[in-house]
Amino acid sequence: MSPLSLIRHRDRLLQALVLVGLVSVWELSSRAGWVHPFLLPPPSDVLARLFADMQSGAVFVDLGLTLYRAVTGFVIAAVLAVPLGILMARRRGVQWFFDPLISIGFPMPKIAFVPIFILWFDIYDTSKVIMITFSCFFPIVTATYSGTSHIDKWPLWSARSLGASESELLREIILPLASPAILTGLQIALPVGMITTIVTEMLMGGSGVGGAMIAAGRFADSVGVFAGIIEIAILGMVVIRALDWLRARLLVWHPENRAH
Amino acid sequence: MTADFGIKIEGVSHAYPGTQGLNAAGTLALKQTDLLIRHHEFHALLGPSGCGKSTLLYLIGGFIPVQTGSISTQKGPVTAPGPDRSIVFQNFALFPWKTVLENVMYGLQKKGLPEAECRDIAQAHIKLVQLSGFEQAYPSQLSGGMQQRAAIARTLAVDPDILLMDEPFGALDAQTRRVMQEELRMIWKRRPKTVVFVTHDVHEAVFLADRISIMSARPGRIEHQIDTGLGPERDESTLTDRRFVELGEQIWRLVREQAVLASRGGL
Ligand SMILES: Nc1ncnc2c1ncn2[C@@H]1O[C@H](COP(=O)(O)OP(=O)(O)OP(=O)(O)O)[C@@H](O)[C@H]1O
Ligand SMILES: [Mg+2]
Repeated sequence: MSPLSLIRHRDRLLQALVLVGLVSVWELSSRAGWVHPFLLPPPSDVLARLFADMQSGAVFVDLGLTLYRAVTGFVIAAVLAVPLGILMARRRGVQWFFDPLISIGFPMPKIAFVPIFILWFDIYDTSKVIMITFSCFFPIVTATYSGTSHIDKWPLWSARSLGASESELLREIILPLASPAILTGLQIALPVGMITTIVTEMLMGGSGVGGAMIAAGRFADSVGVFAGIIEIAILGMVVIRALDWLRARLLVWHPENRAH
Repeated sequence: MTADFGIKIEGVSHAYPGTQGLNAAGTLALKQTDLLIRHHEFHALLGPSGCGKSTLLYLIGGFIPVQTGSISTQKGPVTAPGPDRSIVFQNFALFPWKTVLENVMYGLQKKGLPEAECRDIAQAHIKLVQLSGFEQAYPSQLSGGMQQRAAIARTLAVDPDILLMDEPFGALDAQTRRVMQEELRMIWKRRPKTVVFVTHDVHEAVFLADRISIMSARPGRIEHQIDTGLGPERDESTLTDRRFVELGEQIWRLVREQAVLASRGGL
């Protein structure tokens, strides 16, 4: 093992120890009664609950539902927002029409639309997925538009002089050139989508991790609420890591993925 | 049917718009430029930095619109970029997400050639610019000189009728440069084409070109035109040819004159 990787390993180990230390303090303060175990249940109880729910399969149903809603909403948003962002950057008419709408929509707290979406689309999956799509859409379209507007003219000129047509230019040259910015937009939108999923589940019910947490809260089951927090933390980490991995895979060519 | 000119440039002026506040009046890069480049002639373009050489190439390439005057080739007036006029840009302009091989294959694929043929032609040109072994490398993994050679391969591979080159050997070391010069001259002899070759290197211009134009300081015009009259064969012995040496000195003086004017112009 090289000295550098030894240092890195030692760092990781120390970081893990800090984490274990904090959880131990939490456990101790709850067990010793320094805080009321109802307000802050000991982590061992929360873990025990998680294992029990895993055995019954309840965790996987909730996680699966939440993941399904989040991913569906996110993917629909990406499929709509990426082409629109590119077209806005390349076609004056499209930009003229959509720019004001997006300037208004981007900074708006999308969650304010929950009541109206419930009226329009009811409280079931359709309504939740539309809400998630709606909140993911703006960061993706904005990042795609700005990334595409700022791409270098040189590869475009090269492609034109090598015989690329206008539509080939969009697919073969502009899309890959804008992909770092597009991926950044997706990376910003993903946590937004996760938050929206949990909040809509909490507000509309219908199981999922958010729904399960609200239910636990109603029954004064603080251990259940904490179990939900841990599930969300793990799910969030997994999907964000997955997107990081996808970025590294898609951008192998980019200097950002080059060792120094 | 075929006109006897390769590229006809008549009364071309080009002004770049200024940015607000800073240099609000804009920059006049070319002023009433006339230049007739003969069919299948190897034409070198010399001139002080900033005199509008790149601008003139971009206009011929159709990348920027002609504002005043006209530019035409045998295919008629230039209005847009096209594969009949391929260019090696001063800054290479490779596709960063494509490997060297994919970069060189791109123009061949656009010509509609079968995949296997694209690959063969691309490989041959990668070998020609001495990049064999780097087919799978991305541009960001190459040195400046290697990127430049990849760009040359990509442009030569499509075998255009008009070849525009903007200081294509600028990033190369002296030895590689010499090899590339001889290769280019050979390619041009094997498959005649109209070449416009921008360079700062007077001896490179004399070694390669049939005719040389010297541009004035900005706003650029063609100030002098010189026939090298060195004949079609160029090799080691050309370098010691008396005419080669004399031309070098003569052209060096003319270019220097313009460079001095450029510096007096208070750039
Ligand atoms: N995009 C642009 N916007 C504004 N001015 C420009 C632009 N491109 C070039 N210019 C100006 O036009 C003039 C000519 O530029 P050009 O790049 O054609 O010169 P050049 O002869 O190729 O110089 P060099 O030998 O240094 O490459 C320069 O004074 C430059 O400042
Ligand atoms: Mg230039």
